[in-house]
Amino acid sequence: MQIKRGIAVSPGVVTGEVVVLGTEDFRIPQRFVSIDAVETELGRFRSTLDAVWEEIEENERLAREQLGDQFGAIFGAHLQMARDPKLIAEIESLISEKSLSPEYASSRVLRRFARDLQNLGNQYHAERAVDIFDLEKRILRHLLGERREELLHLRAPVIVLAHNLTPSETAGLDREFVMGFATEVGGHTSHTAILAGALEIPAVVGLGHFLSDVSGGEMVIIDGNHGEVILEPDDETLAKYRDLEERVHSVTERLASLKTLPAETIDGESITLLGNIEFPEEAEVCRERGAKGIGLYRTEFLYLERNQIPSEEDHYEAYRKVIAAAPDHPVTIRTLDVGADKVPETIGELAPDVVNPQLGLRSVRLSLHNIPLFKTQLRAILRAAVDGDVRVMFPLVSNLMELRQARMILGDVIDDLEEQQVPFRRDVQVGIMVEVPAAVMLAEEFAQEVDFFSIGTNDLIQYTLAVDRADPSVANLYRSGDPSILRLIRNVVSAAAKHDVAVTVCGQMSSDPVFISLLIGMGIRQFSSTPHAIPEIKEVIRNLTIESAEQIAAHALTLDLARDVENYLRGELHRICPDLVL
Amino acid sequence: MTYTAQKTVRVGLEQGLHMVPCSLIVRTAERFSCEIQIQKEDRSADAKTMLDLLTLSAENGSVLVLEARGAEAGEAVKALARLFESNFDDPASGSQPATGSDR
Repeated sequence: MQIKRGIAVSPGVVTGEVVVLGTEDFRIPQRFVSIDAVETELGRFRSTLDAVWEEIEENERLAREQLGDQFGAIFGAHLQMARDPKLIAEIESLISEKSLSPEYASSRVLRRFARDLQNLGNQYHAERAVDIFDLEKRILRHLLGERREELLHLRAPVIVLAHNLTPSETAGLDREFVMGFATEVGGHTSHTAILAGALEIPAVVGLGHFLSDVSGGEMVIIDGNHGEVILEPDDETLAKYRDLEERVHSVTERLASLKTLPAETIDGESITLLGNIEFPEEAEVCRERGAKGIGLYRTEFLYLERNQIPSEEDHYEAYRKVIAAAPDHPVTIRTLDVGADKVPETIGELAPDVVNPQLGLRSVRLSLHNIPLFKTQLRAILRAAVDGDVRVMFPLVSNLMELRQARMILGDVIDDLEEQQVPFRRDVQVGIMVEVPAAVMLAEEFAQEVDFFSIGTNDLIQYTLAVDRADPSVANLYRSGDPSILRLIRNVVSAAAKHDVAVTVCGQMSSDPVFISLLIGMGIRQFSSTPHAIPEIKEVIRNLTIESAEQIAAHALTLDLARDVENYLRGELHRICPDLVL
Repeated sequence: MTYTAQKTVRVGLEQGLHMVPCSLIVRTAERFSCEIQIQKEDRSADAKTMLDLLTLSAENGSVLVLEARGAEAGEAVKALARLFESNFDDPASGSQPATGSDR
């Protein structure tokens, strides 16, 4: 038996048989192939090259269309590199003459070229080695990607272990057969983690190196509540977890019965519970869980899903689906929020020399930088708004100018739609994500120019505490309960109250029952949470009075350490709803 | 009979012969069946291979010799020389036939 500790990202406990996915990066499964397999392997390499060329050509076309010729030319150069006859001949000769596997042969030849460039002693050329590594990755991804298709042919329930799962792979997991997953890398708020929560399968990430100990087919337990993975458990442990699995199940069943009951405190204060979604299909899940609308629709998955830039109709169709699933309820659509850990292939590669993606061209900045792209999305939002209570929200706004520019472009889109006599709605509410400390400092000013605020705690914590949430060496510093975060939220609430602007909290904090009493006590009356957390949050609300929540908040604000705040709140939750603390 | 053509050019690019110009050279060279070499001092690169060209490490101001052997050798050298003379200014020009009339 072996116990590994990681980061719990999606609750639940599950026991099952392991399937290991090949690592995406540089773990090459085999160096040699048998002599009689050489022809097949050569064929596999050539079809991989075709696919790689096609992919780069598609990137080039998109880049030219969306960003201009100079960006397209970068992919043009990548394409020439991938077609280099000398390169191909060398790799093919290693496969046919030395019986090396295509993966190993490609990696070896490309790395040699990269080293040659690095050794030229010229900064520019040394940096170009990165382009060669990129090509290596592309080729390996295609070669190994074929193996990953095993995921599509599952016949029996399994638990997936992998070095990493990309958001699109996570989204593509077959819920019928994949009961849980665990990865070596990843953090709390990576998109893979968010998706695991949405899929409602137990998941643990950030376990560190452990796959070399696993061959596949072993028994494993994923404890998504405590962030533990137990390899080949002994009988006693297995029995303990089977029992826990049962208990979790019965609590879930009981919470499900809350669905039709109102989200009201004991003293009758009504709280609005909304859902966070990534895919239109999830809007239905939110409704099933009793959400009264969508508080955060993360539209970047439209871009991630298909590896190409979506058309206005793609946007429109997706939005209509969400609106149809949330009739008579608000739907808040957040415009493109591409960030460092959620970069779609196409868009990410268009901004090649990113120094620090978290502080770079992302979110509303990217939209303002690519006005045609932005307008396409805004047009679809305004058109879809004809059918429902749609609101538009801009992410990562860090100064008033950005908000004004975004509003101006929205105004242009309104003029265009009017001129073209396309049906649309003009009076949609406009709000911003409050997730940069600067926006909190200027909350009063912003409050005079928006209809609503949504506090995005994930980014707000990251930017306030200067912690990259995906970096395991500092991930422990990323604390929702940090006193500085509590004060920022308090400031936003008071600025909003002064100017009569609605405030929602979205992000991980509003999905964690531990923080609900605190946030209500600080004056929050709207939460937007991952759908699976809604029943738990409702349970907390229904066991709370406003007075007790205010007392909890007042005490929490006197504590000066994140650890103390979180321990205190956990204790309070235990008092209010003992069931929820497992 | 093997026909050879040669021309000397100078790199007029601030970053030297970087990726994008290299790819334009390859694109142009690929349209000719003749063998084309680009020499810089004692090094020589096949104009149809991107990685070879990059390792030439031709910086701004470098003097290069374009040399083609075989069918249309003269046309090939002319087309490549034109890229250098125009400082590769228009990235789109690489995809257009450069073998047309001489200026």
